Amino acid sequence: MPWINRRVLQNFDGLLFGLVCVVLGIGFVNLFSATQPGAAGALPSEFQRQLLSLLVAAIGFSAALLIDYQRLERWAPLLYTLSVLLVLLTLVLAPVTRGSRSWFLYGGLSFQPAEIAKVGLVLMLAYWFARHPPDQDRRLRALLLPGLIVAAPVLAILLQRDMGIAVLTLLIGATFLLFVRISLRSWLMMAGIATLAVTGLFQFAFREHQRERILDFLDPARAPLASGYQAIQSLIAVGSGGLFGQGYLSGPQTQLQFLPTQHTDFAFSVLAEEWGFVGCVVLLACYFALLIWGLIIASNSKDSFGALLAFGVVGMLFWPAAINVAMVLGLTPVVGVPFPLVSYGGSQLLANLIALGLLMNVSMRRYMF
Amino acid sequence: MEPLKRAELRVENRLRAATVLLIIVFLLFTLRLFQLQFLKGDALRERSQRNSVRSLQVEAPRGELLDREGRSFATVRAAYQLQVVPGDLRDPERTYIALAQLLGDDVETLRQRGGATLGGRRFQPVVLRDDLDFDALARLEAHSFAMPGATIAVLPRRFYPKGALGAHLLGTLGRIRADQIELEDYAGYRGSDVIGQTGIERRFESHLRGAVGGRNVVVDVAGRVVEVLGQVRPVPGGRVVLALDWDLQQAAEAAFRSTAPDQPAHMGAAVALDVRNGDVLVLASLPAYDPNDFVAGTDPERWQALVGDEWQPLRNRAIQNHYPPGSVHKAFVAAALLAEGVIDEHSSVFCPGYFRYGGRNYRCWQAGGHGQVNLRKALKRSCDVFFYTFGVQLGVDRLARHAASFGIGQRTGVALPDEAPGLLPTSDWKFQNKGEVWLPGETVSVSIGQSYNLYTPIQLAVAYAALANGGEVLKPRLALRLEDEHGETEHAFPREVVGRISISAEQSALVQEGLVAVVEESGGTGRRARVPGVRVAGKTGTVQVVNRTRTVGLEESEIPIRHRDHAWFVAFAPAEAPEIAVAVFVEHGLHGGSTAAPIAQKILSRYFEKRAAEQEVLAGRDGRALD
Repeated sequence: MPWINRRVLQNFDGLLFGLVCVVLGIGFVNLFSATQPGAAGALPSEFQRQLLSLLVAAIGFSAALLIDYQRLERWAPLLYTLSVLLVLLTLVLAPVTRGSRSWFLYGGLSFQPAEIAKVGLVLMLAYWFARHPPDQDRRLRALLLPGLIVAAPVLAILLQRDMGIAVLTLLIGATFLLFVRISLRSWLMMAGIATLAVTGLFQFAFREHQRERILDFLDPARAPLASGYQAIQSLIAVGSGGLFGQGYLSGPQTQLQFLPTQHTDFAFSVLAEEWGFVGCVVLLACYFALLIWGLIIASNSKDSFGALLAFGVVGMLFWPAAINVAMVLGLTPVVGVPFPLVSYGGSQLLANLIALGLLMNVSMRRYMF
Repeated sequence: MEPLKRAELRVENRLRAATVLLIIVFLLFTLRLFQLQFLKGDALRERSQRNSVRSLQVEAPRGELLDREGRSFATVRAAYQLQVVPGDLRDPERTYIALAQLLGDDVETLRQRGGATLGGRRFQPVVLRDDLDFDALARLEAHSFAMPGATIAVLPRRFYPKGALGAHLLGTLGRIRADQIELEDYAGYRGSDVIGQTGIERRFESHLRGAVGGRNVVVDVAGRVVEVLGQVRPVPGGRVVLALDWDLQQAAEAAFRSTAPDQPAHMGAAVALDVRNGDVLVLASLPAYDPNDFVAGTDPERWQALVGDEWQPLRNRAIQNHYPPGSVHKAFVAAALLAEGVIDEHSSVFCPGYFRYGGRNYRCWQAGGHGQVNLRKALKRSCDVFFYTFGVQLGVDRLARHAASFGIGQRTGVALPDEAPGLLPTSDWKFQNKGEVWLPGETVSVSIGQSYNLYTPIQLAVAYAALANGGEVLKPRLALRLEDEHGETEHAFPREVVGRISISAEQSALVQEGLVAVVEESGGTGRRARVPGVRVAGKTGTVQVVNRTRTVGLEESEIPIRHRDHAWFVAFAPAEAPEIAVAVFVEHGLHGGSTAAPIAQKILSRYFEKRAAEQEVLAGRDGRALD
């Protein structure tokens, strides 16, 4: 194979791989419990499907780490464009499921292109900022084009009415602002625009149930039965976990299905209930160690594209985890954002493992010129 | 454009800032976890318990009602009820819409029922639809997993296999009312409980009810029971064995219904007592209703229809309504005349068809008159003039004293709620209640029972039974005994004597003789009550309802039902050794002799048929024993 050689393999990042495996392992052990209630047979069907997804995602991971990222850099605009087109294609081809038009369904398989679009965006932004060092132009105008790069997939995803992923994609794009050195006036202007955008979204783009969720969050006693229900049940699950948890497969909130969407959005609640404080801290510690290791990979990277790519991958893994845990812990409103690698969901797993493959890619090629 | 070299992108400090940010977020989450899992852990763990552990009441099956021969009048069946636990509904709107589709019901109705939760008890089940038929049940079961919070409960439910037969005696069930739940009698009842509201069901509520059981269960989010932690079994209610004879009850009700094809069924009441012990063998009131309609609390529409019905099918005419007695009262007048020595068996008057008193003519029902009349003939032909003449000499107060000794004009004490007292007028009573003195002319009317007098059918049965049994006024015995659910006797009701009539046995015999003539001799008014092989004693009564001027000249069938006379027939048999007394009242039945007497006859003949059959069996057994 032309893109891989002995040196690359010698630099295989064991720590990164190990951390990914631990997080995935915790995720699968937890998912087995979360999918138990109502399941027939030894392996719950959703657990089986996720195992299958892992197989596909592992192929994606391998592919992402084998192709030299410098080659990928040249393909970045193409990959980005393809990913946005794929999202737009769902608008035409995908059926409406649960109010969103964001899933390709084929037979028993489903695929959500918006997840892949996040990887495309990270590649493209890394490509862009590697050529336009963000600290050289202090004017806001310099952000116009990267802004458009972010806006394209975000708008496409918004058209699918998938608020959660749209917001996430926006945040991943915004992460790159960390590298931008612009004047205070520009920051204030951006804050103003953001405020306007948020209120505008709230009034016009959000649907009734999404507005309700935010209002419920601001005043949880408002409607304990509507979306406040989910938040309360999640808090009960987490709190009743205590230090060591209620025991694997024996959390009453989980096993009696008081937890809403417990294998997807509230998978972390399941872990908290059954494994307690210890389980939660172990998972979070591994996950955040993974993220920090990602930043270290970025700073050790031999070129700016690699650094930016690694950084983007960290952003891509950070936001959903942070939002998910904050939601589960009652710190933010209930939003449908799964915990990467831990929650159920094949597209999410594939996209995140491809991203981690890219991170590994950067890490393995840090000494090569 | 070529990408920048790594060194040109000065990002180290930014990456360090990002690392610090990550660590801060991690610590923030850890802190929050600490707060939730340590500081609030116990409280939240308790809420988790409350979420899933629930106490459920388990209803006890209501005790059976049996007739004297052990035939079941009221038993228990399984009923399927659709319940929701409002606190478990995650999406009430969707659930109600789905349920409405499955049941073919109105969404709004279901929503209202679901919303009608008492207090803050969101986790108490609310009944959305009761007594599901099998189609609805199958549809719901097939979709139950799509509707968390909705469950189907199986409950024991009262069932009356004979439908409307004996409805008023059995009574009705109904949801406990707000004013009842406050009472001490109903301590421990819940607002949703169904209790006996009338009849036997109410009278023996505490015995029939049994004791509710309870279960502590673990439920999942859909309210489905996953595990039973512990339970107290409900104790089924005890049985009540009634004195009633279902054969006779059926004969009585059938007789009321067997009218000419173009005529509606008769309304009224029939009571049959065993004169020896007061056993209530028949207690019928018509029109009736099907008590099965009430078992789960009443459907408001049906209830309105019954309450609004002009003929008041919910009234128990045998004990709750009192009516003017008309000529059946003459037996008591005769008894009083004999007791006070106003007449003896030879006293007689000439009846010209009217009685002149106080410058006014009082008519005898027989326009041409009865000629010379003694007590026997006066009873047999129901001659008004005989009773007018001597009644005036007797006076209202002496009459009332003796009549009262028969138990009329007062509650009999039968074990049924809301018994009417009736009315036996005296001069004092009139002065106290009307503020006027008793007029001599009123004594004329009271002598033939056409005054203020009001008696219930059961009072007349008790009074004639006293005349028949040697003078004992008995308390009607509705229930023979209370048994536990296995049939062991817990309590047997004794025969109860509440009074004695005030006339001697000889005087009583004279009245009885006259009553036998009513039925058994040609020219008697109660000929249609004859039973082959049995001597029947009885008295007819016809009660004028509106002034004669409103019905004069009309064919009987042309008189509006409301204007028709009431008909009475009260009897006992066999005359020489009485066993059974029967009082039949036919509301707007026109003539005692032609409508009420045949109904009494059917009850009596059924009674004596059964008795003959029993004696045959006994004789056969004795015969074998002799061989």
